[in-house]
Amino acid sequence: MIYLDYSATTPISFDVLDSYNKASKDFFANPNSLHGLGVKARELINSATKQISELFGVNETEIFYTSGATESNNLALIGTVFANQKRGNHIIVSKLEHPSIYGICSYLEKLGFEISYVNHTEDGLVDFEDLRQKMRSTTILVSICAVNSELGVRQPIKSIRQIIKKENPNVIFHSDMTQALGKISINLKDVDLASFSIHKIYGPKGIGILYKNVAVKMTPIIYGSNKENLIPGTPAVPLIAAAAKAIRLGIQDLDRKETFIRKLNERIVEELSLQPDILINSTKYAIPHILNISLLNIRPETFIHAMEEYEIYLGTNTACSSGEISSSVMALYDDKKRASTTIRISLSYLTTTEEITRFLNCFQIVYKRLNSLMED
Amino acid sequence: MEKLILIKYGELTTKKENINLFLHTLKENIQFKLKEEKVEIKYDKGRMFIKGLKDNYDQVLLKLKEIFGIHEIVVGYELKSLNLEDIKKEVFSLLKDKDFTTFKVETKRSNKSIEKTSIEISSEIGAFLLKNKKGIRVDVHNPSLTIYIEIRTNGSYIYFETEPGLGGYPVGTLGKGILMLSGGIDSPVAGYMTIKRGVKLEALYFESPPHTSLEAKNKVIALAKILSKYNNDIKLHIINFTEIQEAIYKNIPHEYLITIMRRMMYRIAQIIANKSNAKILVNGESIGQVASQTLTSMKTINEVVNLPVIRPVACFDKLEIIEIAKKIATYETSILPFEDCCTIFVPDHPVINPDSKLCEEYEKCIPYKDLIYTAIKNHEILKITENDKKNFEELL
Repeated sequence: MIYLDYSATTPISFDVLDSYNKASKDFFANPNSLHGLGVKARELINSATKQISELFGVNETEIFYTSGATESNNLALIGTVFANQKRGNHIIVSKLEHPSIYGICSYLEKLGFEISYVNHTEDGLVDFEDLRQKMRSTTILVSICAVNSELGVRQPIKSIRQIIKKENPNVIFHSDMTQALGKISINLKDVDLASFSIHKIYGPKGIGILYKNVAVKMTPIIYGSNKENLIPGTPAVPLIAAAAKAIRLGIQDLDRKETFIRKLNERIVEELSLQPDILINSTKYAIPHILNISLLNIRPETFIHAMEEYEIYLGTNTACSSGEISSSVMALYDDKKRASTTIRISLSYLTTTEEITRFLNCFQIVYKRLNSLMED
Repeated sequence: MEKLILIKYGELTTKKENINLFLHTLKENIQFKLKEEKVEIKYDKGRMFIKGLKDNYDQVLLKLKEIFGIHEIVVGYELKSLNLEDIKKEVFSLLKDKDFTTFKVETKRSNKSIEKTSIEISSEIGAFLLKNKKGIRVDVHNPSLTIYIEIRTNGSYIYFETEPGLGGYPVGTLGKGILMLSGGIDSPVAGYMTIKRGVKLEALYFESPPHTSLEAKNKVIALAKILSKYNNDIKLHIINFTEIQEAIYKNIPHEYLITIMRRMMYRIAQIIANKSNAKILVNGESIGQVASQTLTSMKTINEVVNLPVIRPVACFDKLEIIEIAKKIATYETSILPFEDCCTIFVPDHPVINPDSKLCEEYEKCIPYKDLIYTAIKNHEILKITENDKKNFEELL
């Protein structure tokens, strides 16, 4: 099997799974229980949170556990705008966000919030001037993802923060960092809120993290026994332990991993660029882990299933909106055909050069067969 | 020229006889604190020199600010030469790109073989700077930059800023004490103040499960961990006090519960102290704060031991104690709301003028010597270190 859909999800690492299993078995008690077993489980959570906060360079009280990045995004956007709606009703997002952000925005729009979509340059970077102009006195939140999930475009988060804060220091800056964590180095000092998902970094599914700067006011969007609690319910002890380990392992050796992945990426680009009907959608600002292409004459579903016969697994736009056209490619190139024929090849440090050789061979075979079919 | 850290000693330079013990201990304490760095530490009677640091000065400075016996910390430059021309050049090369408007030069010359006086050296260096750098002038009263020059036997030293150290004596130079650590606000502060005077502490905690919880114990461990920063690790003795406390509760008039309980604790503390070769007991009692801290109570409780009992916060107001607790970061932990064995079994009307004779009579009702013997025989000892091996290491 050759798995090249790492941006959709990753296989759980053995070490992380081991932590999950041990924590499930040895720390099964409810961390809210008073007895010693409960206290032990609570201590495990506290240690995990301490580790995560140290790795992120933030305070322990600024880390919240959610079910995944979508929930983190919901809490970050809805919880913040609800808590701050006295200051305004205007939200700015980019046109290259994960679909979950747009889902939340359309919900907020129904409630009377106004959404602006900031333009980007032809390479996919947020247009600073447009961002400046779209800022209003009623703007309460800006949300811009650190790395786009379809194209891999990496945004200059620090500069974006400077622009936002210069216009209005009260505006809260959220970044969906799901595709950034474990791939590039991140700095949470650049944002007020950030979303993460652990299954993207070789951890289990069902756990995400929300970083919330202590100064940001937020109301819960799910309620439990303690109405002050932002994330009510029994904490998922084994998932939290696994998350701490996945993050620790995931952010090791980023440079070395990136250099290796970049080589693989360049090899694929070099070979695929030779085909006239293949377009490379990822721009020069894309991280090498994500390579987005369009096969103009072939339906992506067909191509993916054909590759599957060789046990090679690729992605279409994002797994979260498969079947639709790629909103990011559409935003960037304004070309419906291009946006509806995208394939996403996402690489990992686990990918081998042999895998890429076989992938390219199979790709050519499948491509030739399907392309000639279409031409007929 | 080599960048290094200079340590200036404070009060310990007055200890003529013991100075070598003090300096040797201080060096060892610094070495212990910086054990993860590869540093070379040398010293003479006036200064300690820390060399071999990489670019981690900020981190090292923070650590040095947790060591007692240091008066001032200086990041400076060592010059092997004693030649004034060399010093001038180096001062200039350090300052040529630095932004400042006014300055003065202060020279110390412990090496008297140099012909020129300190004042002459200062003025020559000042003149050299004035000649070679534009836009600066001398201001001896309120300079924006002070240039310190020290000419010692083994070389010359240049530095610009000094940072205060914690003062006090190097921990361990004055022997050992047992700190009765309750989990409240006062006892960690008392511990900190005692460590400051060079006393190496071991801590003693009384737990009373099931009346007290694991969380209460963890709280004390957390406090001990904070104190361990200043104490080069700390040994924490944990006494299971349940049987003694229940015996007291069942057999002794309730107004005397606290008095007798404290007498038992003192007795145990003294036994632990003797076993550990500690010379004093230390606690966080503050005059008048609670019923067991009236003068009569103190006398009646103190009578059961013959070691000196040091009460560093005895004469502090609560707010003064809290201020120190906040400074040393024990406050947040101390106020966590877990019952300790002094807050369970609290009588409605504790006696404020307890009578010694009565205490002795009451104590005859319980086999306290046996109970104490058993408690000490089974006591738990934890070694608490600042960089405690992380909890759940293999899981996370």
